Amino acid sequence: MVTIYAHARRPRTRRRTSSRAWRRAIAFYLFIGPWLIGFVLLGVIPLTLGFLTSLTNYDGLNLASIKFVGLRNYTRAFADPDAIFSFWRTLVWSALNTPIWLLLSFALALVLNQRVKGQGFFRTLYYLPSVIPLVATIWIWKIFLEANNGLLNAIISLFRPGTAVPWLSGYALPSLTAIAVWAGLGSGMVIFLAGLQGIPSELEEAARIDGASAWQILRYVTIPLMTPVIFFQLVLALISALQTFVAPLLLSNVSASEVSSPPREIYLYMIHSYRQIFVYQRFGYGAALLWLLFIVILALTLLVFRTARYWVHYEVEIEGAER
Amino acid sequence: MIIQQRQFRPPRTMRSLNSYAVLVLVTCLIGLPLVWFLITSLKQEIEYLAYPISVLPKEPQWENYANALTLIPFYKYAWNSLFLALSFSVLTVITSAMSGFGFSRFQAPGRDALFTIVIALLMIPSIVTVIPQFIVFSRLHLTNTYWPWILWGLAASPFHIFLFRQFFASIPRELEDAAEVDGCSPFRIFWQIFLPNAKPALATSFLFNFVGVWGDYFTPLIFLSDEKTTLAVKLVRAYTDPQGHVLITTTLAACVIYTLPLVILFFLGQKYLTRGVVTSGLKG
Repeated sequence: MVTIYAHARRPRTRRRTSSRAWRRAIAFYLFIGPWLIGFVLLGVIPLTLGFLTSLTNYDGLNLASIKFVGLRNYTRAFADPDAIFSFWRTLVWSALNTPIWLLLSFALALVLNQRVKGQGFFRTLYYLPSVIPLVATIWIWKIFLEANNGLLNAIISLFRPGTAVPWLSGYALPSLTAIAVWAGLGSGMVIFLAGLQGIPSELEEAARIDGASAWQILRYVTIPLMTPVIFFQLVLALISALQTFVAPLLLSNVSASEVSSPPREIYLYMIHSYRQIFVYQRFGYGAALLWLLFIVILALTLLVFRTARYWVHYEVEIEGAER
Repeated sequence: MIIQQRQFRPPRTMRSLNSYAVLVLVTCLIGLPLVWFLITSLKQEIEYLAYPISVLPKEPQWENYANALTLIPFYKYAWNSLFLALSFSVLTVITSAMSGFGFSRFQAPGRDALFTIVIALLMIPSIVTVIPQFIVFSRLHLTNTYWPWILWGLAASPFHIFLFRQFFASIPRELEDAAEVDGCSPFRIFWQIFLPNAKPALATSFLFNFVGVWGDYFTPLIFLSDEKTTLAVKLVRAYTDPQGHVLITTTLAACVIYTLPLVILFFLGQKYLTRGVVTSGLKG
């Protein structure tokens, strides 16, 4: 009796669920539709065209007489001393900027995660530079670092009169690092704070009861639990450092044309690619340079992902403690 | 969803003294350039150029601010910035929230593959796509119009799709099931249940997008002509004396005015911002 009844029912149930599944699949595609269409029209098509461009001698005007040059634009990059130079500068810049930013924003988050008076005030203040637009940030630092009438040299002059260090030209790389760290400290700190607040306090408490020192707690409890966040931040910082472009562009002399070249020290890869396209109209070569950068970014990101299993602790359930 | 401040307290006095030393030092390092910037925006150009420098202006030059608004068509460029930032942000928040909702709530063939694409797109340098897009848009005669921003807005952004997906994943399923039993369509569930509950994520996403476009220098520089461009481009070297030298103190005053809306937005959205960052799992 029961069996027959169940038999009689089953097809109807199945049809109902499958039509529900259908409706939900359609709803899914309607919801993601705008993105999907945009991804094809503004992502796939331009990227394909960009790649095809990199195989030609396109200069923005010669569409009628365009020539397929194979991988010549790519091999050309390896023979272009400026491309090689700017690539190394970019690596140096990334290697300098990423760890300093990570370390300082993490340290700051640690300090502000303690119960200190004025916590809210400090958090707000430290985040403030992150909402200042880059153009304003560069102006702020230009007048601060200016060799003759900048504040920094004036302060140093109190101890060593007549100091006029050309921070913006001779020391452009450390200056750029200072600017980037200053501007990015707050946003890094906020993410780390969010991570720190997800760590169950019982773990640190337990370690302390077991007699661990503050340093040991940091080293063996907090940092391991924070490694997923550190990893996430490291990847994002690396990707954005390798693409750094506008800050060095703006840091170069503003009175010259807008496509002027920054000091050699911060003549980064993106600047070189940009100049190929917009100053020399070498669209094909510029596109090839950008694809090469993409390959490098991808390779470095994968490399970092590869190292993850040696130092990132995903097995610890942080999520559950958040609630 | 309330963040609980569980903190561990090491030996009190010494550590907190150290902490304060660090906090005050960092405050100075962050604040000094800012204060100097504000002071300099109130100096005469001659005072700024004088050597040795004077710390304070003899008399605060408030007319720098008046000049900042009148020497160039400030309001026009500000309107351009506002229009682009607002239309892009509103559109992209809606479309990203829709996609995030789709990815977090529906089973469909191809979903996981598409989500992998979203994640992969996070890694592609934006510049790799912007320049081919520039070529395409200029062939379609859409450069020097605001259409690219509208289209980018309609196309959602991978980062914000990710943000919304994470956020919506934290909303209990029962809410939705109950509504569905009552015969609510997926779109009504989205508009009337999920969006009103997503204020922190909406505010976070809107703020990030707005700040991003308002501050963007590169895209308007290459896509828009001098007339249609935004404040960000103009503030680099639009304020000049008749000889073509950049008027630094006036430019600084303009920068202050230009930055102010973002600071205000940030203060208004601050409480949402922290919650948005935490609950959307942006931390990884």
